[in-house]
Amino acid sequence: MADDAKNDFEPKILGFLCNWCSYTGADLAGTSRLQYPSNIRIIKVMCSGRVNPQFILKAFQEGADGVLVSGCHPGDCHYIKGNYHARRKLTLLHDLMDHMGIDPGRFQLSWVSASEGHKFAEVVTKFTEQVRELGPQTKMAGGGGQ
Amino acid sequence: MTDRQGQIQDTARGWLESGEVKYVVGFEQGRRAGTKVAFVRRPEDADKLVWNSMCVNNLTLFLVEEMQTRPGRGEELDTTPIGIVVKPCDSKTIVELMKENIVARERVKIIGVTCEGVCDTKKVDGSEKQPPAVTDENIAGKCLVCTHHNPLIADVVCGEAVPETITDDYSDVAELEAMTPQERWEYWERQLERCVRCYGCREACPLCYCEECVFDREKPYRWNEKSVQLPENTFYHLVRAMHLAGRCVDCGECERVCPVDIPIRKINRYLEWKAKERYDVEAGVDPEDDSMFGTCDTADPEDFIW
Repeated sequence: MADDAKNDFEPKILGFLCNWCSYTGADLAGTSRLQYPSNIRIIKVMCSGRVNPQFILKAFQEGADGVLVSGCHPGDCHYIKGNYHARRKLTLLHDLMDHMGIDPGRFQLSWVSASEGHKFAEVVTKFTEQVRELGPQTKMAGGGGQ
Repeated sequence: MTDRQGQIQDTARGWLESGEVKYVVGFEQGRRAGTKVAFVRRPEDADKLVWNSMCVNNLTLFLVEEMQTRPGRGEELDTTPIGIVVKPCDSKTIVELMKENIVARERVKIIGVTCEGVCDTKKVDGSEKQPPAVTDENIAGKCLVCTHHNPLIADVVCGEAVPETITDDYSDVAELEAMTPQERWEYWERQLERCVRCYGCREACPLCYCEECVFDREKPYRWNEKSVQLPENTFYHLVRAMHLAGRCVDCGECERVCPVDIPIRKINRYLEWKAKERYDVEAGVDPEDDSMFGTCDTADPEDFIW
């Protein structure tokens, strides 16, 4: 019964994709007709460095089960260093979530380039499965005036 | 202790007599054992400055206020320095504020006081008339892990140099790390659900100096609801911790003012620990250092990234 509940659970995943690499990568996955779970809702940002830790926490507060942030590979950032800044900030956020016991597995950072449609599909599939295993996110959800 | 007090008074009096400073921010005797903040503007008032085990507050908060004061219409900005009495931990705050270009070195004259530890005001009996001696029972938590007993930046240092004997191994934070994630969440849930969001931690924090705080902002987007519920409280504390990551100097003011005794220092110390471990960043040591989130390194660790 419990297993059924887990399998029926469709996680809500929010994706922050950078305009120059990952969003184009996602586009490529689409035009290449690759299959990946439709659980992800994508928000395009100009750079992964634009993603404020607040965005991620707010998403959890508003009921997201998982948050994926994706940007250009290190060294490939359109703005030279944006993804390095993202890496510093979000690694610490990941650590902090772990410290507070808010399943860090619900938050993932990945590097997907514009030519990696396959990798994008793989990342989304793997992440969706990971979040599905964790079940609905209840620790921070229910905020934001809901 | 009194020796330091005399030096503080003499220095303040000297500066006020020569007009080098506008005023001196220090401690004066409060009701009963506690101290309160004193703004000394006349040399003859310098005698009221005290130094004892209850001088806990981080006075650099008032330095930030002075730096952020704008002149009125048609007035010139008065850049005469102000004097300030700081403990070594508070001197780290000044270093951090200089790093962030909030405080200009020439606008502040610092009376640094060497320190062997102060009392935790929450552990001192309120009916006591005299400041108690610092003992193992009443010492403030921050002093137990303090690695700087001598001011890092000062124009005048009062008191004898104190030898450094403590190495901070972050064992108080590591204790939590030994629990399972579920236990850790239950621990923090118990702490954070008590929060009444008085924002005292923000108001007392000398590094929370944003003129418009994200939690006060209504337009264009209200980030956090005002209601005191666990999701909002968690959001508040996590975001505040992230805003202080790599900047917090562990002066302990947030925890001191907290009316419901949330161990806020633990969150900040955890990030301080990680910042040191991952990026070799230590806040409040050198004003020439770069800020943690203002810089990056191609060799930064990326162990959780796909």
